[in-house]
Amino acid sequence: MIGKFFRKMTGATQSPPRVSGMEVFWSWLGSFLGIAAVAYLNDGFLEKTDLVLIIGSFGASAVLIYGAIKSPLAQPRNLLGGHILSACIGVSAWKLLFVHPWLAAALAVSVSIAAMHLTKTLHPPGGATALIAVIGGPKIHQLGYLYIVMPVAAGALIMLAVALVVNNLAPTRRYPEYWY
Amino acid sequence: MGNEEDDRVKRGSTAGVELKEEDIMAAMQEIHGYLDITPGDFKQIYILAYQHALERLSRELTAAEIMTRKVISVTADTPLAEVAEAMGKRGVSGVPVVDDQGRVVGVISEKDFLRSMGVKDSQNFMTLVASCLRSKGCVALPIKKQAAGDLMSTPAVTVTPEARMRDMAELFTQRRINRAPVTDKEGRLVGIVTRGDLIRATLQGARP
Repeated sequence: MIGKFFRKMTGATQSPPRVSGMEVFWSWLGSFLGIAAVAYLNDGFLEKTDLVLIIGSFGASAVLIYGAIKSPLAQPRNLLGGHILSACIGVSAWKLLFVHPWLAAALAVSVSIAAMHLTKTLHPPGGATALIAVIGGPKIHQLGYLYIVMPVAAGALIMLAVALVVNNLAPTRRYPEYWY
Repeated sequence: MGNEEDDRVKRGSTAGVELKEEDIMAAMQEIHGYLDITPGDFKQIYILAYQHALERLSRELTAAEIMTRKVISVTADTPLAEVAEAMGKRGVSGVPVVDDQGRVVGVISEKDFLRSMGVKDSQNFMTLVASCLRSKGCVALPIKKQAAGDLMSTPAVTVTPEARMRDMAELFTQRRINRAPVTDKEGRLVGIVTRGDLIRATLQGARP
């Protein structure tokens, strides 16, 4: 029993192969352009407003939609669904439980993961999107449910548009694998 | 992963083809882009999928599902002229021979006719024509007085209603036969499976 328990910790297989240099290049280009788009719009137009267009979880999304584009986690359904659903849950958690921030944070992330599972929209950065709604500070809290539309939905859509262009320009790439 | 699944993967029964992780690594490198899966997971999927495919294939159609039910048969004492007439009329190249209780005792086919008409080497129509053209008179004359029982191949190669298509195809090839009567437990004729039936059923099975 105990032996088996510890044996399971030793691993069972090897790490997948490294991708080619071209693949690295396209991952770099896509993520550069995707993050550049949201960051540039954020800095250029929203600097002096209360609005934001970029949040930390987009960096994680970039890994998936420009770097692991075949993954089910990286498909448009997951990108948009995961972010938007988690944003709703994150904002609600903050509004209902802001007196216990630790509980709001834990529930925001855990309920988001469960909801993404149930809706087949699992997208790891969604967990961060939910968490940011709770721990993102006054500027994020002020947005209230607007957080779902902007930055979350708007930013995710811009990044998706860049992913569709860049990933399909690459001769060895195709994106998405599926929409729904 | 459940224990049962675990065991199936450990056994790794993929019909003698053992997939090594290095094969999977090589295949993953041939596919462009980052694959979000470990070689171990891939191997597990491969083995389980392979077993599903085997199960699907083994749930093939059976003789009972593909056989021709309306089958003409003759008895051992049916005169050959009648046998030939019946085969000609129905456009079949062989018929089962049954006893008075409907039990299959043999099969009589074109090949049996040809053999008894002195066609020794390859029993086909053109060999018969050749020997006919070389001899005087009809080569069928020597068997004019005979009956089905004299010519039939016996015992008949029969199949049960539960016989699977793959096994029947193997049987047909090995025994070099074109049809096999389908018999019940008592050996009574219930239908016949021909090469044609097998081919038709293969096409149906291929459709989704």
